[in-house]
Amino acid sequence: MNFNTESPATREELLQCLRRHQSADFRLAAGGTDLLIELKKSGPEDLTLINLGRLEDEEFTGITIHPAEIRIGALVTAARIHKDPYIHEHFPVLHQAARSLASAQIREVATIGGNVCQASPSGDLSCALAALNATCEIIDMDGKIRHETLSGFFRGPGKTSLLKSEVLKGISIPVNQDETLMSGFIKIGKRLAMECSIVSIGYHFQMNATGTVIQAGIAIGAVAPTVVFCTRAAAFVTGKKVNDLTEEEQLQVAGLIRQAASPIDDLRASAWYRSEVLFNSARSIFEKA
Amino acid sequence: MDKKQVPISFTINGKKMTRQVNPSLLLIHLIRDELKLKGTKPGCMEGECGACTVIVDGRAVNSCLYLAVNIDGKQVNTIEGLSTVERPLHPVQHKILEHGAVQCGFCTPGFVLSIKAIGDECVEQGIVPSRKEIAKELEGHLCRCTGYVKILDAAEDYLAHPILQNSSDHG
Repeated sequence: MNFNTESPATREELLQCLRRHQSADFRLAAGGTDLLIELKKSGPEDLTLINLGRLEDEEFTGITIHPAEIRIGALVTAARIHKDPYIHEHFPVLHQAARSLASAQIREVATIGGNVCQASPSGDLSCALAALNATCEIIDMDGKIRHETLSGFFRGPGKTSLLKSEVLKGISIPVNQDETLMSGFIKIGKRLAMECSIVSIGYHFQMNATGTVIQAGIAIGAVAPTVVFCTRAAAFVTGKKVNDLTEEEQLQVAGLIRQAASPIDDLRASAWYRSEVLFNSARSIFEKA
Repeated sequence: MDKKQVPISFTINGKKMTRQVNPSLLLIHLIRDELKLKGTKPGCMEGECGACTVIVDGRAVNSCLYLAVNIDGKQVNTIEGLSTVERPLHPVQHKILEHGAVQCGFCTPGFVLSIKAIGDECVEQGIVPSRKEIAKELEGHLCRCTGYVKILDAAEDYLAHPILQNSSDHG
């Protein structure tokens, strides 16, 4: 590794830095836990790393709760997300995904923005955020802000809609409309720690007092070129009493989730295995302890 | 091509320091090769094994995945920082010895620092973690000798009373 670093300390310095490097080869680094491994293996010469590790800007580093949404700055670490009491109580799917990511040492450094921008189909935080209908807040080098849904943001493995002139500034999650929740993150890997998911499912159902689902989000990871939001499965569950689904309905939901996937064979698992595990894990959402 | 050196100021094991570092220098290389503190071990060098764990501002991190320039303004503790003349071994290290949790010893500095960091955080929050929670928090460490049982025994023993044993020597 032999790169230059620029370490902007303020938002204005960051935007200046972006403007200055438009014609050069650069990468943005947040926590760097994934990127540094990549650069150790194949770092191009004359690369500049725009290092966000020293950026001091609350909008990038803070979690704020607003009436309609909770906003998580792009540089918030996975550890901070998993330790945040509001997220624990209101978005168990995100709390669990943050806790299942890599290891304790990596969680202290890895950021939500890095996880989303690496756009890995198996990104744990990305999968949970998709289930929560999260929106990306993106700032360009002139300071202009645009918003994009996560499903629009992901374009393929390692590919996002982020332009060279842009940086992810934060992620917004709509607050729950009702607080009776069935929410969780299922991660299947070869071992429990330090594992890239073979299959992951994030689900977040909000129910009213009668137990009827008023809002449903289901997303799956590691079974398609991007994290996939399971629109049809979520629509099927909405309006139903999720605790009273018949076995046939549960199988239908699991089937719809499986249909949203397009898994491939790779070194971690075969497409067949992924599809079977996805179906059975999806069924397990409705199992009562 | 030579890159422009970056000035950084930080505290390591209680000692303030200012250095010029290469912009792509990893924290582990700063610690081992420039500061000659060899207790921090290079294992897998990709964040899997935890042998290179150090404490930055109270949190255990992998020094092999951390840019040296990012410790500017921060406090770093390595295994060397746990000993003092009056107290050559930290209570975590005593527990490791007591439980026979060392064989080859390569992974030990990393485990010790993670257990210390967990202890400090638990004291802050006033909680005693369960054995399962301790195992979860230590998941980023590999040991190829002990089978983990004795390491967990030592950690559980220490974390049951970290308040009595804790004295945050260098912060």
